[in-house]
Amino acid sequence: MIERRNFGNILFHAFNYTVLTLFALFCLLPFWIMVAASFTDDLALRQNGYLPWISKFSLEAFKWVLKGSEVRTGYMISIFVTVAGTICSLFVMSGLAYVMSLKRLKGRNKIAFYVFFVMIFVPGIVPWFVTCRNLLHLRDNVWALILPMMVQPFWVFVLRNFFATLPTEIMESAYIDGASDSTILFQIVLPLSTPVLATVGLFMAVAYWNDWFLGVMLLDFVSWRPLSVLILKMVSNVQAIQAAMKQPGVSINLGSLPTLGIRMATACITIGPIILVYPFVQRYFVKGLTLGAIKG
Amino acid sequence: MSIHSGTIQSTQAKRSGFSKFLEYVRQNWILFFLGAPAVILIFLFSYIPMFGTVIAFEDYSPRTMFLSPFVGLRNFRILFETPLFGRLVRNTLLLNFMFIIATMFFSVMTALLLNEVRLTLFKRVNQSVMYLPFFMGWSIVAMVLYGLIDYQVGTVNSLLTRFGLDRVIITDNANLWPWILTIIRVWKGTGSGCIIYLAALTGIDPQLYEAAAIDGAGRWQRMLYVSLPGIIPIIILLVLLDIGRIFYGDIGMIYAVIGDRAQLFPTTDVIDTYILRALRSNSNYGFSAAAGLLQSVLGFICIFGSNLLVKKYSQMQGEDYSLF
Repeated sequence: MIERRNFGNILFHAFNYTVLTLFALFCLLPFWIMVAASFTDDLALRQNGYLPWISKFSLEAFKWVLKGSEVRTGYMISIFVTVAGTICSLFVMSGLAYVMSLKRLKGRNKIAFYVFFVMIFVPGIVPWFVTCRNLLHLRDNVWALILPMMVQPFWVFVLRNFFATLPTEIMESAYIDGASDSTILFQIVLPLSTPVLATVGLFMAVAYWNDWFLGVMLLDFVSWRPLSVLILKMVSNVQAIQAAMKQPGVSINLGSLPTLGIRMATACITIGPIILVYPFVQRYFVKGLTLGAIKG
Repeated sequence: MSIHSGTIQSTQAKRSGFSKFLEYVRQNWILFFLGAPAVILIFLFSYIPMFGTVIAFEDYSPRTMFLSPFVGLRNFRILFETPLFGRLVRNTLLLNFMFIIATMFFSVMTALLLNEVRLTLFKRVNQSVMYLPFFMGWSIVAMVLYGLIDYQVGTVNSLLTRFGLDRVIITDNANLWPWILTIIRVWKGTGSGCIIYLAALTGIDPQLYEAAAIDGAGRWQRMLYVSLPGIIPIIILLVLLDIGRIFYGDIGMIYAVIGDRAQLFPTTDVIDTYILRALRSNSNYGFSAAAGLLQSVLGFICIFGSNLLVKKYSQMQGEDYSLF
């Protein structure tokens, strides 16, 4: 389009770029504080507080965090839960999505309703909690962090819709040639669906990595916790101790508090893997959110 | 005699129906094998709890679980008698309302502005930066948030004292928290929220812009009178869908950020966080289940209503965006 270089247009662009840059800085600021604090000497942090610059450089916080066995176990748990959870979830959900996409199957609408109904009538947390702990005895177990969120109805529908758009001729000719449904799914449908699998996998992986709910609800007497739960515990311990210090006549051993730098360093290494894969997954992220708007 | 033969016939019919089903399963066992894991998981983690809501009508004890003694509507009566429930509902609705309006406003604004950006590199970098918060877990957000606003060491107060000003109390001021929650919601959700509006903006006919330009509309006017009306339908639809979920407090966010800090409950305690705390302190299962059931039913009605509106509205636009 023809662009006139008049005063109004220049002003418009100046406004536009300024607002967007400011908003981007607003999005980046917490990351910046976090990184700056984890590279700052702890004494300087205690004197000056969290500042947006590094007043005295130090790697102590990172060294301490990586030495601690709790964080290292947490890392292993988080990685295992994310990898195993995402893979299992993709297999299980695409299995059902494939069945739901078959036009020759009678009753596929009933299955679709069965899956859909749990999206609109969400049972409360209490019966869910009782089911998980008392009925299924799913606690203090690494699968407690994986199984309850393995099947997400929304993504099942996204997968089914994608499978339904694949050319049926290929599947039908394979079927006539005697291929079983599992062969068709694993050798034809899934290889053709890598973009949607990557998208669903990305969202599941982020959900598993960041989830603290299952860890808080279903882990009691174990020495290991995923990273997200460790961080949540750190936050609430700090607050509890600060609240106790306000009360008169209570002496607290401050050594039990993680130091200011260590808190931020733990947060840093938790988002580390996400930042590493971020450039590669961005387009799937955009795809997933656009999919989300189209009819499920 | 005739009755007798009748029953035999009906059982035979039933049996043949069942054996037909078995035959069907035998022929398609691979399909059952593929679909069963997901169906079973949904049954275990969604349908059993759905039937399990009966504990809202029971005096729950862990030994008898779902088959505890029936007490009728006692839990609901207690629920309505306490002033607590009103507060929970009010906070849930108010916070969700603030989140919906704020994220909608900022998503639409950034989408409109990004749509006018012609420098591809700037646009790409800007979007990458705005998407980044989406990937941060709420527990990390909570950690960094307290680093920003803490009374002693928070960034805000550290900077204030550097400039010779007095420290401000942010963390314990309950009246500020709905705004703080809204701000971090905007921080986390704007990048992901604007994607859908950007996609809608690319669908606007370029001829409209050209016609507007010929009529003498500047960029500012084209944005307000061509772009914005073009995405109004999608804005309305997304807001309606959000309103459908207005009874569900965002537990992943609010519990991670607020936790067990009782001084903030008056303005930030929502139904879900209350239930979660009750469960963690092992108290009042029946009472919490009653609150949860009420929430499920209200949520169900809301989803249904909003879906009806979405259907009506999108049919007016000649499309169908409704969920069901």
